Amino acid sequence: MMGERRAAARAVGATKVYGSGAAEVRAIDDVSVEFASGRFTAIMGPSGAGKSTLMHCVAGLDTLSSGQVFIGEIELGTLSDRRLTVLRRERVGFVFQSFNLLPSLSAAENVALPMTLAGTRPDPDWIEHVIDTVGLGDRRGHRPAELSGGQQQRVAVARALAARPDIVFADEPTGNLDSRTGAQILAFLRTAVSELDQTIVMVTHDPVAAGYADTAIFLADGGLSDRVEAPTARTVLDHMSALDAGADLPGRAR
Amino acid sequence: MTRIVLKGLWARKRRLAGSLAAVFLGVSFLAGALVLGDTLNSSIGRFFGQAYAGTDASVRGSTNVGDSPMGERGTIDAGIADRVRRVPGVAVAEPVIDGAGQLLGRDGAAIAVLGPRTAGNWLTDARLNPYHLVEGRAPRADDEVVVNRAVANQGRLRLGDRTAVLTPRRVPVRVVGIAKFGDQDGFGGSSFTAFTVDGARRYVTASPNRISSVSVRAASGVSQAALVGRLRQVVPAGTEVITGTALGEEGMTAVTKGFLQMFRAFLLVFAGVALLVGTFSIYNTFTITVAQRSRESALLRAVGASRRQVLTSVMAEAGAIGLVASVAGVAGGLGFATALEAVFSAGGASLPVGGLVLTVTTVAVAVVVGVLVTLLACLLPAVRASRTPPVAALRETAAERPGASRGRALAGGTLTAGGVILAVVSAAAGNAMVLAGLGAVACLIGMVVLGPVAARPAGMLLGAPLRRVTGVLARRNTTRNPRRVAGAATALMIGIGVVTLFTVLAASSRASIQDTVSRSFGGDLAISTGSSVGGGFEPRLAEDVARLPQIEAAAGMGTGGVRIAGTAVRVRYADPAALTQVLDLGSAARLRPGQLAVTRATAHSHGWRTGTPLPVVFADGTRRTLTVGGTFEAGGPAGDYLLPRTEWTAHDPQPQDTTVLIKLRPGVSTAEGGSAVTRAAAPYAAPAVQSRRDYIDAQASGVNGLLTLVYVMLALAIVIALLGIANTLSLSVHERTRELGLLRAVGATRGQIRSIIRWESLMVALFGTAGGVGLGLLPGWALARAATGGTVAVPVTQLVVIVAIGALAGVLAALRPAHRAGRLEILRAAAAQ
Repeated sequence: MMGERRAAARAVGATKVYGSGAAEVRAIDDVSVEFASGRFTAIMGPSGAGKSTLMHCVAGLDTLSSGQVFIGEIELGTLSDRRLTVLRRERVGFVFQSFNLLPSLSAAENVALPMTLAGTRPDPDWIEHVIDTVGLGDRRGHRPAELSGGQQQRVAVARALAARPDIVFADEPTGNLDSRTGAQILAFLRTAVSELDQTIVMVTHDPVAAGYADTAIFLADGGLSDRVEAPTARTVLDHMSALDAGADLPGRAR
Repeated sequence: MTRIVLKGLWARKRRLAGSLAAVFLGVSFLAGALVLGDTLNSSIGRFFGQAYAGTDASVRGSTNVGDSPMGERGTIDAGIADRVRRVPGVAVAEPVIDGAGQLLGRDGAAIAVLGPRTAGNWLTDARLNPYHLVEGRAPRADDEVVVNRAVANQGRLRLGDRTAVLTPRRVPVRVVGIAKFGDQDGFGGSSFTAFTVDGARRYVTASPNRISSVSVRAASGVSQAALVGRLRQVVPAGTEVITGTALGEEGMTAVTKGFLQMFRAFLLVFAGVALLVGTFSIYNTFTITVAQRSRESALLRAVGASRRQVLTSVMAEAGAIGLVASVAGVAGGLGFATALEAVFSAGGASLPVGGLVLTVTTVAVAVVVGVLVTLLACLLPAVRASRTPPVAALRETAAERPGASRGRALAGGTLTAGGVILAVVSAAAGNAMVLAGLGAVACLIGMVVLGPVAARPAGMLLGAPLRRVTGVLARRNTTRNPRRVAGAATALMIGIGVVTLFTVLAASSRASIQDTVSRSFGGDLAISTGSSVGGGFEPRLAEDVARLPQIEAAAGMGTGGVRIAGTAVRVRYADPAALTQVLDLGSAARLRPGQLAVTRATAHSHGWRTGTPLPVVFADGTRRTLTVGGTFEAGGPAGDYLLPRTEWTAHDPQPQDTTVLIKLRPGVSTAEGGSAVTRAAAPYAAPAVQSRRDYIDAQASGVNGLLTLVYVMLALAIVIALLGIANTLSLSVHERTRELGLLRAVGATRGQIRSIIRWESLMVALFGTAGGVGLGLLPGWALARAATGGTVAVPVTQLVVIVAIGALAGVLAALRPAHRAGRLEILRAAAAQ
């Protein structure tokens, strides 16, 4: 199944070490993973498992200690800061858990921000379409402070999709939202993948959120530990319990 | 609580640097001004003590026509010296002659020292003589002179050189000795040429039996008071006797009351501006840091700290900063005083500065003022911090209230409008400096209050031309928090405001002087000694020039001091018939002997009219009644009072002209006439011949000195304001770490981030500069109208330069904050707190 689709991004032997000596922490350790194009992948794992670090490194927000990451066929480690910035602008979209929007810009301006920064004229029809898709047509002139948390996150999703990036990274996008609003956001992400053929990688610890993905991969102690295709909240929970049980086994370092 | 304060301070040391610098600079200025004042005071005291150390008493004319005891006095009878010498208890009594004498240098031109150019006699008693020979010998023949070291150096004169002194008659002399005054090369910036007593009588008092005073040394065992008591018995009416100590004190008072007082006042004004600008910088920094720490304050409140404790902790922090910065400021003040002294020495005005004098008072004043200013600036932010509700600890983000209240708009608007109205009314009323000053203060306070209200529209206006995304984002950030923008800009606004005000005032008074001079002066050329004291030409120069075939008319004019109706004033004297041909004298054109002319303004303020008799006392003690013979316009070359030359000459042993005004015959070109006049002036030490334009410009040149000082002030204010803006920006960058990180994550380059910060800084700086120019312009206009009686000049070029400098300051202020913002890690945004 993996082989049928081109990888939108992949990591090869990705390792990230913080500190040194006794204080050394291996946030991710020799992780190799591919994120298939046009699919919705959830990265799962307990706190401290290295899921955010993996995502940051694959997205080019952070650099690896060793190993390689690719967006498409471009190896990020070889890029200058400037090229990396341009790559992020043109080929990557982000949705963060919180503080996703610039407070001084209206909703529509926030959506168009990556294109504005690139100095390209955003296609107004497309922006319109994206804003309508996330259901904020009547709110496009509002400032973030005038929007609810869920609405703000929908603007963030719209921004991530608006530039038609190769891949969207979402870091706990529903972490700050109640379950109903969270469900709306996840539904939008799902729609984007199914109908617009968008590639999305989402970090979450919420089994329900993972249930919207095509694939869930599990991280534990900086390493890839498991993989579930077409997950549901139920199956994800089962896998997590299994991992927890394994983690508690004596002799396994945490 | 103290430990919490200290720990908090240490944790935020970087952010505090800005506040520290602002207090430090202000206090440095204050301390420097005080130190320099004290130092000069003490060294001037020592200077005069030295000068009169050997003098126990002095006999001199009792009529003084200057406004200090050191002022001009007339001569006394030379026989008094002999009479004094016979008094028991007198060891030595020597006649003293002092007058004007312009020494010529090796090149034959007048040596232009900064101070008065004096000539007199060389006292043979070494203890009576404040000067002492360092080279050569005392004069023996009438044409031999001793000159002081400084003037010898400046005129490249050496022992044995032949030159001349203008007294104002040209006296050929030979330099036989070079002297120092105490340990200095001269007395202040003055020049001194000493003849023998006979030589001085012949050339300086121009009479064999007139001298200026008698210096007396007592026999051992006779006190100064006892000596003076005995001398008073023998001196004739019209003379007075004072002790040597009193003489030294008079000299000191003259310097401290005159030059030193002005000097101090000026430096203190500088310090005041620095502290005022600094206060706003500190206020703004604290407002931001307190807002950023509101969660911390709320947490303290939540765990049981009282409001008072929170307030105290912020104020304690302010106090600690104030103290540290003030103590450092005192040290900075010593450096500042040293630097200023070096500047003055380089400028040729050698100040008799020994070691710097740092008094306990200076330290106390500087530290107390520094701490108080800091506490005052922090009071409002501290009160705000104490009002943080405990629940704020639980909120996601907390920053200061961004909006500007309606009450603020109303209060600021009312104050500003009131100030404007006051200024306009005062301008209409004319001569109402107090009203105009009040208006200026009201405008200042009003505009400071209005700042936050104006910041948003101003930001939109200033940012309107910005089309690039970085500029647009900067504009949005600037309009987002008008209170903060206004805070950062206020410091700059005040500095620029003060400078603009002075620039307008200076330009207006220059224009006013030039206007009056060019209106009244009908001639084409002029010869002038400028503002020097003691330099002048023989009145014959004007006569020689008038006889030239190219010249239609030439009038010489001299100056001196008299008392009119009890007040010491400077008067000009000239031949009215000649003067009226080159100068518009209004109704005073036909001035006759027994009359004097005054300006219309003087006549108006004293209630004098044509025909009013006025008692006039001359330096030689003569009392005359002169009637007002006419009035003329103020501000012209004729000064405030004009006497016919015939009324003057009899009372002055050294009548000399300081100005010759010249009118060419029709058809004679300025160049042609100029070279003829230059040839005619050659025997009079070749004074420079000025064109009409040069002469008019030179009349207003005093204003240029003021302007220079204003620009020094501008530089100072800008440095402090720049620190304030830089600090605000750094704090704002710190606060927006996540926002900037997000921008980077969605594709902003480092350059774009830097550009945003730069634009923000530029907008803040331009807002402050524009506000400052506005603030200075209107009161400046009103004050200028009040001061000059109508003429207002707005120096557009200077104002454009000021705005450009303000903008440049904005760009400079952004350098570091922008750099740091560009280096921020992207992940800070992703890592949600």
